[in-house]
Amino acid sequence: MNFSRIAHNLNYVFSVVLFLLGLYTIAVKPNLVKKIMGLNIMETSVFLFMVSIGMVGSGNAPVVTEGVKPATMVNPIPQALILTGIVVAVSTTAVALSLCIRIHEHYDSLNAFEILGRDELF
Amino acid sequence: MSFSSHYSILLVAVPLAFAALCPIVGMWKRELCFPFSVAGAAAACFFIFSLWGKVISKGVVSYTPGGWKPPLGIQIRIDYVGLFMASIIGAVGLAVLVYSWRYVSRELDAEKIPYYYTLYMLLFASMLGFVVTGDIFNMFVFMEIFSISSYALVAITGQRRAVRAAFKYLLMGATSSVMVLLGIAFLYSTVGSLNMEDIAGRLAMGGYTSVASIALVLFLIGFAVKAALFPVHIWLPDAHSIAPSPISAVLSALVIKMGVLGILRIFFTVYTPGFAGIEGTWTALLQAIAWCAAISIVLASIMAIIQRDFKVMIAYSSIAHIGYILLGICMLTDKGLTGGLYNILAHALGKGCFFLVAGIIIYKHDLRRITSLRGLGRSMPVTAGAFAVASLSIVGLPPSAGFIAKWYILWGCLQKQHYVFMVMVLLGSLLSAIYCFRVVYYMFFVGSHSAEIDEGPATMIVPAASFAAATLFFGIFATLVLPSLSSAAQALLAG
Amino acid sequence: MLWNRRRPGLAKVVYIGSTVATILAILPLYPRALDGAITTQRLVSIAPRISLAFRVDTVGFYFALLLGVLWLLCSIYSLGYIQKNETRYYCFLSLNLSFCLGVALSANMFTLFIFYELMTLFTYPLIIHEETEQARKAGLKYLVYSVSAGAVIMLGLILQYYYGGTLSFLGHGTLKLSQVGKPILLTIFSIYMLGFGVKACIMPLHGWVPDAHPAAPAPASALLSGVILKVGIFGIIRVMFDVFGIELLKTLGVALPMLIVASFSIIVGSLFALTQDELKRRLAYSSVAQVAYIVLGLFLLAPDGAIGGLLHIAHHAFMKGCLFLAAGVIIHETGKKKVSEMSGIGSRIPLTMAAFAVGALGMMGIPLTCGFITKWFLGLGTIQAHHPCFIAVLLISSLLNAVYFLPIVYVAFFKGESPEGESRLLRRETKRSMLVPVMICAGMIIILGVFVTVKGFPYSLVEVVVKAVF
Repeated sequence: MNFSRIAHNLNYVFSVVLFLLGLYTIAVKPNLVKKIMGLNIMETSVFLFMVSIGMVGSGNAPVVTEGVKPATMVNPIPQALILTGIVVAVSTTAVALSLCIRIHEHYDSLNAFEILGRDELF
Repeated sequence: MSFSSHYSILLVAVPLAFAALCPIVGMWKRELCFPFSVAGAAAACFFIFSLWGKVISKGVVSYTPGGWKPPLGIQIRIDYVGLFMASIIGAVGLAVLVYSWRYVSRELDAEKIPYYYTLYMLLFASMLGFVVTGDIFNMFVFMEIFSISSYALVAITGQRRAVRAAFKYLLMGATSSVMVLLGIAFLYSTVGSLNMEDIAGRLAMGGYTSVASIALVLFLIGFAVKAALFPVHIWLPDAHSIAPSPISAVLSALVIKMGVLGILRIFFTVYTPGFAGIEGTWTALLQAIAWCAAISIVLASIMAIIQRDFKVMIAYSSIAHIGYILLGICMLTDKGLTGGLYNILAHALGKGCFFLVAGIIIYKHDLRRITSLRGLGRSMPVTAGAFAVASLSIVGLPPSAGFIAKWYILWGCLQKQHYVFMVMVLLGSLLSAIYCFRVVYYMFFVGSHSAEIDEGPATMIVPAASFAAATLFFGIFATLVLPSLSSAAQALLAG
Repeated sequence: MLWNRRRPGLAKVVYIGSTVATILAILPLYPRALDGAITTQRLVSIAPRISLAFRVDTVGFYFALLLGVLWLLCSIYSLGYIQKNETRYYCFLSLNLSFCLGVALSANMFTLFIFYELMTLFTYPLIIHEETEQARKAGLKYLVYSVSAGAVIMLGLILQYYYGGTLSFLGHGTLKLSQVGKPILLTIFSIYMLGFGVKACIMPLHGWVPDAHPAAPAPASALLSGVILKVGIFGIIRVMFDVFGIELLKTLGVALPMLIVASFSIIVGSLFALTQDELKRRLAYSSVAQVAYIVLGLFLLAPDGAIGGLLHIAHHAFMKGCLFLAAGVIIHETGKKKVSEMSGIGSRIPLTMAAFAVGALGMMGIPLTCGFITKWFLGLGTIQAHHPCFIAVLLISSLLNAVYFLPIVYVAFFKGESPEGESRLLRRETKRSMLVPVMICAGMIIILGVFVTVKGFPYSLVEVVVKAVF
């Protein structure tokens, strides 16, 4: 196992760890707000991953200037994608949180198991 | 450039703009929201249907907004499948919009009505965007827009169960979206492009294996959740049954089909069938989908039979029908694909009609139990009749669109000698006959003989009845659609 | 020819009118049918190589004419018999007529299947018309059997389409042994027999019959037994003549198993009939046995056997029509449903019981009734097909028929207390609209048994059919 290779790709490793952490939180934690946090962690991991794809070590800003070769520029597309992705994530979170508020109003609880126990569907 | 060359962007942009303007209109005069949205949807329909001529003559209509050339710029790429889906979205969406007018004006608080129409138009526009775009990230964005608006629409009544169902839907939906996003990231990291055709071309050059396979798996999981394929269907029965009925109709008829379209796009446009590098994974995954789909058909039909609530029953039936569609697609033959695509149409009309009928019954009598529907055949003959006709299509009996679809799906299975799947499809039909005819039985053959006719309002009856009529129409005049669908199937199989 | 009309108020008038109109519309086709000419008309093409198309050929015409006549008789009868939910009843009755005609006049298996399925579904309201618990149960059983059968037929249809390339009826078999191979042909054949066998109530598949017939109102059971079971037979005929062709069936060697199944149906059906006390149930089991005669005749794969089988379609329709309608009169007038209660009713409703007796004699195959003609040709067929042992089946069944029908006639006329004379004088026997169809049916039994070869009667048509096929 080559440690320096891992060290160079630390951001990928972190993004995998974060992704799994988020998935775990969504699946296992009963608290709805924690589930939303898990979702956010998962999304963040993907953003981290995407930024890492486009990164060029000690690269330049992707602006066409004299003497800067395109190969040394940081890829701007993943960053643009992430910006969109963040907007999407924020709006999802907003909807999720507002649903949480409503759920708390109705059930006086944010625990998934308690809520399930409150009313059996039909 | 003439005005008509911009139709392909306008069909998305116009309803999107109407969605944005809707709250403003609502602030000024609440009653205007409805005609305003109808105008937007009708305009979109006009654009969609006038594109058919072009697509039939050219095969694909391509458009680059802002003149950015693909693969860098976002491309709108309308092929047979895309336009076929867009037409269904346009027609069903418009009809359900008309239907919602009376429904929401009674079921929702007055201040929520502008938001309802806003979200509805957002849903409408983003689904159109999803089917016509040629850019994979753009597809993700549209997918998020329609997902978020459907979460909100499911919860719009604010009742406790609705909110709970919406939250469950949101958690699963958002997780699946992240999967799709991660898939896009993986794909981009190895291929370096976001345009679907471009990716296909680059993948075909070879040299991509493991990363592309992982991306494929992620896409599959993501879209399977959106399509409510077994075993990730668990969000659907709650969300579809608790949403306001017009929304249930749209969710069932259109939104889950977006997941199917996503799978189609990924498996046929991005990773083309001939693509050599990861063919093993590709075939294995399609086999897996086929089995999941077949299990969906049988299991969901059984679940539908044991339900006591009308709308939950209809919702389970949707899962079964997604199974039919995907099974047809996974046969990888032109007939199977045609059948799958035809079932998208047949199910959109049939299931749309079911939910609209359920809505009318809820609107008039607030009945949800199947056993409580007794005698409705006499008091609400048109509504109940529409249900009976649509159930022919859902069961797949001739002469209805569902029959044509099932015929082609069976044909596809036969081409690949998958006799087990044939039996499962037929078993599914039998099971669906049980749950559909049970309702018809309660409506027509049980209960009072009082013949006082007490129908719902015309704007609700007409959409439901026209869906039912359309299932028969497309069962008899299937040749109107089949040639385009088989061209679509051939285009998909060719990659 | 396929109009169906629904008018709430005028239902009856409109309905009878349209039935008569249907018959009138069929009749002009007679000369062409007799020549064996085929008229095909394509209505709409549904998918490539699949279309909704109609065709009038001799066997279709024969069947259509029979449908029209029996429907008219039963509907006249219904005027007196049906008392509630009339609009629904007549509406579905007329829809069913048009669907049955659709089956008879279809030009390909696909059209046939469409109308077959529609007919299946729309028969349901007729069966549960009384809306009693018993009727509901029977209706459910009927639906389960027939919808499953529909799925099975659909499987056969797609297999036939895939391997044979066409669904059209061309007057000879369209499946070719050289192209398809024996195992698949046998599969398709057994699937079709399984599918159509449910409606034609071949013995292991007959489960719905004894429940549905007693539950339905008398005219509807007469139609069920007289015609709707025959629609299943008609499907089998099409499969035999137009999908496989006689030669192919001979090579496949399916005839003998089918003959054995049919004989089993005949004998066991009759034995079951013997044990039933409820009159209509007894008649229903008798239908199971009688319809198996047709199957037996057809699968002898010999011209005379086929003539006998095809003739029996019409003969049995009139005989069973007569018996069921008479049973309806008995129920309507005396309220008695069980055979054991029927002593002495002969003097209360003498004409009806006389008609019943004629029907019973016909069932036994006494000469001068049409039942004899059937048996005669079937007997000839068994010899022609070198299966003479099946004559024994015919004889045993005649005997059994005698055993379970004659006692009814006997107790009705010669047993029981003497009737109160005044009531006979005061009341007429039953409503005229009910009596007339019964008498016509009984008359037809004799007429068809005596004037066999008259032009326009079944024999002349059947002869053309059989000549064309063999």
